[in-house]
Amino acid sequence: MSAEAPRAGTDHLARTDEAAMFERLSRSNLVTTWRWYLGVGVAGAVLLWGVIVFMYMALVGMGVTGYNRPVFWGLYEASLVFWIGLSHSGTLISAILRLTHATWRAPVLRGAEAMTAFTLMVGGLIPIVHLGRNWRVYYALPYPSSRELWPNMRSPLMWDAMAITTYLLGSLTFLYVGMIPDLALLRDKSAGWRRKFYSALSLGFRGTHAQWRRYHVASTLFAILIIPIAVSVHSIVSWDFAMAKVPGWHSTIFAPYFVVGAIFSGIAGVVIVMAILRKAFRLESALTPLHFDNLGKLLCTMTLLWGYFYFTEFLTVWYNRNPEEWEVFSSYGGHYLPLFLTMLICNFVIPFPMLCLKRVRRSVPLILIPAVSIVIGMYAERLLIVIPSLARRNDPFIWANYFPTWVEFSVMAGAAAMFVLLYMLFAKFFPIMAISEIKERLFHTTDRKIGGATVESIAQVEGEEEARA
Amino acid sequence: MKHTWAMAIDLDRCTGCGACVVACNAENNIPVIGEAEAAKSRLMHWIRVNRYWEGEFPEAQAIYLPIPCMQCERAPCELVCPVYATYHNEDGLNAMVYNRCIGTRYCANNCPYSVRVFNWYDYKWEKPLDEQLSPDLTVRSRGVMEKCTFCIQRIRRAKEAAAEEGRGIRDGDVVPACVQTCPPGAMVFGDLADPHSEITRKLKDPRRFRLMEHLGTEPRVVYLKRQKGAGR
Amino acid sequence: MSTVIIGLFEGVESAAGASRALQALSLPAGSVTTISAVPLPEGAVVTDPAPIRFPRIVIAGWFLGAAAGLALTLATYLLYPLVTGGKTIVSIPPTLIITYEVAMLGALLATLFGGGREMRLLRFPPKVVHDPRIHDGKIALCVLVDGEGQAFRVTSIMKAAGGTDVRAEEGEL
Repeated sequence: MSAEAPRAGTDHLARTDEAAMFERLSRSNLVTTWRWYLGVGVAGAVLLWGVIVFMYMALVGMGVTGYNRPVFWGLYEASLVFWIGLSHSGTLISAILRLTHATWRAPVLRGAEAMTAFTLMVGGLIPIVHLGRNWRVYYALPYPSSRELWPNMRSPLMWDAMAITTYLLGSLTFLYVGMIPDLALLRDKSAGWRRKFYSALSLGFRGTHAQWRRYHVASTLFAILIIPIAVSVHSIVSWDFAMAKVPGWHSTIFAPYFVVGAIFSGIAGVVIVMAILRKAFRLESALTPLHFDNLGKLLCTMTLLWGYFYFTEFLTVWYNRNPEEWEVFSSYGGHYLPLFLTMLICNFVIPFPMLCLKRVRRSVPLILIPAVSIVIGMYAERLLIVIPSLARRNDPFIWANYFPTWVEFSVMAGAAAMFVLLYMLFAKFFPIMAISEIKERLFHTTDRKIGGATVESIAQVEGEEEARA
Repeated sequence: MKHTWAMAIDLDRCTGCGACVVACNAENNIPVIGEAEAAKSRLMHWIRVNRYWEGEFPEAQAIYLPIPCMQCERAPCELVCPVYATYHNEDGLNAMVYNRCIGTRYCANNCPYSVRVFNWYDYKWEKPLDEQLSPDLTVRSRGVMEKCTFCIQRIRRAKEAAAEEGRGIRDGDVVPACVQTCPPGAMVFGDLADPHSEITRKLKDPRRFRLMEHLGTEPRVVYLKRQKGAGR
Repeated sequence: MSTVIIGLFEGVESAAGASRALQALSLPAGSVTTISAVPLPEGAVVTDPAPIRFPRIVIAGWFLGAAAGLALTLATYLLYPLVTGGKTIVSIPPTLIITYEVAMLGALLATLFGGGREMRLLRFPPKVVHDPRIHDGKIALCVLVDGEGQAFRVTSIMKAAGGTDVRAEEGEL
C-alpha cells in the first residue's frame, strides 16, 4: 500500500493490503491440493453408493427397509426434518445478524448461507426418496393432465412442497445475490475460463455508487423476507406430525418447538463447518476466536431454549397422564431409553455447562465438542419424535419396534455425502468468504482514543439521514 | 339412490376364529407374505382380529375384536393424502384409488385404527395360484397403500344387477366376504338409508359402541358389547 | 457512446476532495459517480439523485404472489371437488398457508428481478466503464462529459486533486 501521511480517523481498510487479503481469503479458490480431490472422490463415491442403493430400493420395493406397520415413517422422515432443520443456520446468521447490524457476522455469512442452500437441497430430495412409488412423484404437481386430478392442498405434505420450494429458491437467491460483489471481485482478478465463468455469474456488477445503494436495499429486503419464510418452513414441516392423530405428535407446541430445534442444530452445524473451513483453508485471520465465542453464546441460548421446550412438552404429558400419550412417553424409559439418553446428554448435559465457559467458546477445538454433540443429539431427537409415537400408537395389538436396515443407512449416508460434495465444490468455485462484507467492516472500523485507551469504533451507516454532511 | 353402508359386529358372537380374515384375503387378492415378513409386522390383512388378554392365569380371558376399515365419516386418512388417492365417495365409503397412490404412507400414520396396509414388495402368485385371483379388482403394485373397502366390488355388482332388473338394492343383496363367511354370524352389513334393513335394527341395540369415538372420526363400523353373564 | 473521464484515487478522502473540486463545474446531477470495492456512504464522495423505486415492485410482487396462491388453492379445490375427512370443499386454513407461501415467493422473485433491473446489471451492449484496480484499495471516480472542453477541464481538476491514470474512455457510467 502507498505510504501516505496518516489521516484523521484512518480506517482499517486503508491499513490493509487488499491484494494480500484477497489471496488469504480466497485460498479455497486459488489453491487446490490432493486433499480436496480425495475429499471430493470419497464424497462422490459414497453418494454414488447411496444412489445405487436407492435405485435398488425403488426397483424391489420399500420392503428392503425396516419400515413396518405401524411404523410407516422412520429414518428417512426423521432425516428430512433434521436436514431441513440444519438449513436454518444461514438464515439466522445472515438475515437476523444483518438486520440487527451485528458486524461480526462478515466472515461467517457465506459459509452459513451456503450450508443453508445445500442442506435444503438434500432435505428437499428426501420426500422423493421416502415415497413408495418415487417415479410417480409428479402426481403431486398441479398441472392439467389426462388424469383429471390435482393435488390435495389440505395435506400438510403439499404445504411442505410449497414451503420447501419457496425456501430453497429464497436461500439460493439470498446466497447468490450476496455473492455478486465477491463474484465481481473474482472476475476482476482472474483470467481464462475462470474470468468468463465469473463474468457470467457476476452479471456485470461493478460497484458504482448507485449500484451499491440499490444492492444494500435489496440485501436488506431479502433478509426481511427470508426470516418469515424460514420460520414458516419449519413450522409446516412440524405440522406433518402435529396434524396427525398420533399420540405424542398431536401437540400445538410442535411449530415453535421445531423452529427452535432447527435454529439450534443449524448454529451447531455452522460452528462445525466454520471450524473445518478455518482449518482447511487457513482462515485463522478471518475466523477468529471472537466469532466462535459469539456463535457459542448463541448456541448456549438455544440449548436453554430447546431444553425449555422439551421440558414443557414432557410436563404437560406427565401431568395429564393421557393414556395414549403416556404409553408413548413410557417407551422413552423402556425400549427407546438409549435414544432418549443420547438426546438428553448430547443436547443439554454436555453442551450447556461447556458453552457457559468462555474458555470453551473461544477455543476452536473445544467448541467443536458441544457442536458435534448437539448435531448428534438433535438427530436422536428427530428419531425420538418420529419412531416411538408410531411404535406405541393407539392400538396396542399392532405395536412393533423399528430399526433401519443397511438400505436406509446407505441412502442417508449418500445424502450426507451429497451435502459434503456440494459444499466442497462450492468452496472450490465460489468465494467462501464474504470478502466485500469483510472489507466493508474494515472500512467502517477506526481506532478511537478514549482517554488512555484505544478502542475499535465501528461506524453504523444506515440510511440517508446519517450521511447528510 | 343414496346409500349409507355400515357394519355391525356382535362381540358376543365373535369366537375369534379368523375366518373373516381368510375370506377377505381370498376375495380381495391380498398376498400371503410369509413368516419372515409377518415377523417384521408387515401383515397385509385388510381385516384383522385383535386379541386382548384380560386378567391373569388361570382366569385369563381372551377378548377378540375384528377390525375392518371403519369407513369413517370424518376419515383422518383422506385429509392427509397429497394426491387424492383416498377420498369419500357418494355412498359414504372411504374409497381407494390405487393408481393414484404415490406411497407417502401419511394416511396410514393418520389412521388411529391402523387398518391401512402397505405393499412392501411386488407380490407374486406363482402358477397355479394366480387362478384364484378375483378379476373384479386389481393386484396392487409395490409402493401402494390398500385397505378394506367394504368389498366395493360386490357393492358394484349388486348395483349393476339391481339396475338391470330396474329395482333398488334390497337388504341382503350386498354381502362382503367377511360377513358372508363369519360362522357364528357375528357380522351384519347393510344400508342405513334403508329404514327396514337388518343393520338399522341392529344399530338400535343398547350394547352398541364405536372404537376410539373420542377421536372424532365417526366410524361406520359399530360394535355390540359382549355381555358378561354366568360362565363367561 | 458517451465519453467518461475515469481516474483512480488512493482513498476516500482524496476522492472526496476531487469530487468537491468538480462541483465548481456544475455538472448535471448523476454524471459523477464512484466505482469502489466497498459501498461508500451517501454523500461521502458523491450523491445518488435517483430515488430507489423497486421496493414498490416487491410489495406488488407480494400481492401478485398472494393472488396466485389463492387462485391455485381455490382452483384445485373447485375444479376437483372431492370430500376428504369431512372437511368443506373450500378449506380456509390450508388456503391461508399456501397463499402466504406463494406470496413470499412472489415478493422474493420481485426483489431479485426488480432489484437486478434497478441495479442496471446485464446492460446491453455491455460497454460500461470499469477499473479492476478498485479491488486493490483504490476508488475510481467517473465523470460523464459532454465535449472536448469539459473533458479537458474535468481531467485537469482530477489530476490536480491527486488522481492517477486519469483517462477518457468510451462507455456508459
